[in-house]
Amino acid sequence: MTKFDQINIGDTLGPLELFVSKDQCRAYAKLMGMGEGAGRFTDDEAAKKEGLPGMILPGNMSLGLLSKLVTDWIGSSNAWLKQMSTTYRVPVQPDHAITIHGFITNKNPAEQTAEIDVWMENEEAERLVTGTATVEFRK
Amino acid sequence: MSTILDLHTHSEASEDSRAPVEAYLNWIKLRAAERPVDGIVLTEHRQFNRGGDYRALEDKFGTLVLRASEVETNYGHMLVFGVNDDMVKRFDFADVHLDAQTLINEVARMGGIVVPCHPGRPNIGMYEHYQNKPPLENVVAVEALNGGSRKGEDERSAELIAKYGFAATGGSDSHLVSLIGLCATKFSAYIKTIEDLVNELKARNYEPVDFRPRRKAVPHAVAMESR
Amino acid sequence: MAVEYDPALINKVFEVTDPVEVKADKIKRYCAALRETNPIYTDEEAAKKGPYGGIVAPPSFAVTFRNGRHFFENVPRFGRRGFDAGKDVEFVAPIRPGDKVTLTSHVKEIFEKTGRTGTMVFVVIRSTLKNQKDEVLAHIDHRFMNRT
Repeated sequence: MTKFDQINIGDTLGPLELFVSKDQCRAYAKLMGMGEGAGRFTDDEAAKKEGLPGMILPGNMSLGLLSKLVTDWIGSSNAWLKQMSTTYRVPVQPDHAITIHGFITNKNPAEQTAEIDVWMENEEAERLVTGTATVEFRK
Repeated sequence: MSTILDLHTHSEASEDSRAPVEAYLNWIKLRAAERPVDGIVLTEHRQFNRGGDYRALEDKFGTLVLRASEVETNYGHMLVFGVNDDMVKRFDFADVHLDAQTLINEVARMGGIVVPCHPGRPNIGMYEHYQNKPPLENVVAVEALNGGSRKGEDERSAELIAKYGFAATGGSDSHLVSLIGLCATKFSAYIKTIEDLVNELKARNYEPVDFRPRRKAVPHAVAMESR
Repeated sequence: MAVEYDPALINKVFEVTDPVEVKADKIKRYCAALRETNPIYTDEEAAKKGPYGGIVAPPSFAVTFRNGRHFFENVPRFGRRGFDAGKDVEFVAPIRPGDKVTLTSHVKEIFEKTGRTGTMVFVVIRSTLKNQKDEVLAHIDHRFMNRT
């Protein structure tokens, strides 16, 4: 159980080490109805025609994975992911090792909220997707 | 007495950052052992932001907070130090196609200094523009180390610096609280004001410093296990 | 030389989408695609004892609702190719199976900047998600990047 009083600025979330396969990426894209016109999420050749290195993860999928780092940390406690901001800096390729990091950067006792930096990086430690999250701890 | 400043940072006043200045200063205090930074310079995108009074925070954390700008030109992005009313009237900071040579000359004439940032970055760095356009005149320094650089970008910056003999700075280009101070500039002088900073930048008595951790890549075997 | 657009575009609500029912199976498949294992999203029995009294969708499910075709006929395209540059999401209330979700959207902001890949025009689209009880579920600012 994660409790507001027990967390500190500087605490880490994760890191979460992931390997998103091309099939997992396609399953996500298919579920979202990203078929026609979104070959960059399902097909290496279509992605290359757009100047990309190969298939990439939809931005929303990265947002989902970054959110998961936070909701895994919340677990089943009575805390609510209140806000999540993401910036897609570099395309995320499936079939590569990715790591998601999180750091608590601020606490607001009046509102019982914690601010968290989150980012996804590749094997070269390049930050691909960056973001912030706010978690509200409820009584 | 030397001073270490992170010369390139973005707070929540920049459209793509959510980092409050206070959280930056708190993080610097928390990470002082690894990132011994004496101060930060806020370089908000496409504007000179006068908002917020940071004097109380400076006292609370013992960390200097100065203000500058990051603007966009036909030779890439550039940091403008010593921004004053004359410069704000002379240039539309929101214009993403400012003429770099005019900016450099005019800012110098008006008492400031322009430092091209992340010169090794595609499109928005000076290196690429030097391949097909004449070199700029009156460039004193460029940013050698940038905390947001991708592989190869700082190397291209180093190449440019070696070729043209520029002085070299460093800055985190932080948009997130936890990335503040990863790269900075070590000045041989004591700096307390923006005027001090402009004078020292012109005097070339500084060097970039790198506080980025040398992380190991995730081993392939670990990656496969978490499949 | 700022980017040119009709200022009347800003804040004008273009459409309210038809309600989309959240199917339990879609939440299940969404969780599977993200390898989600938190029981409050995946296990009916465990979720009953959790903070929401039953299964809810993971918060990020909010970004999977889309504007209709009508919207994109009205939002200007400033370049040949568009990319998702990022989102700011405020999660207000959990999305539950059976919810009928509508999306109300407007253009919040248009601005220009330069990046590694060239000059870009950002169109920020703000959407509000509501359920059948007219309760707000989330506000989403979607930064849509157009390369010129």
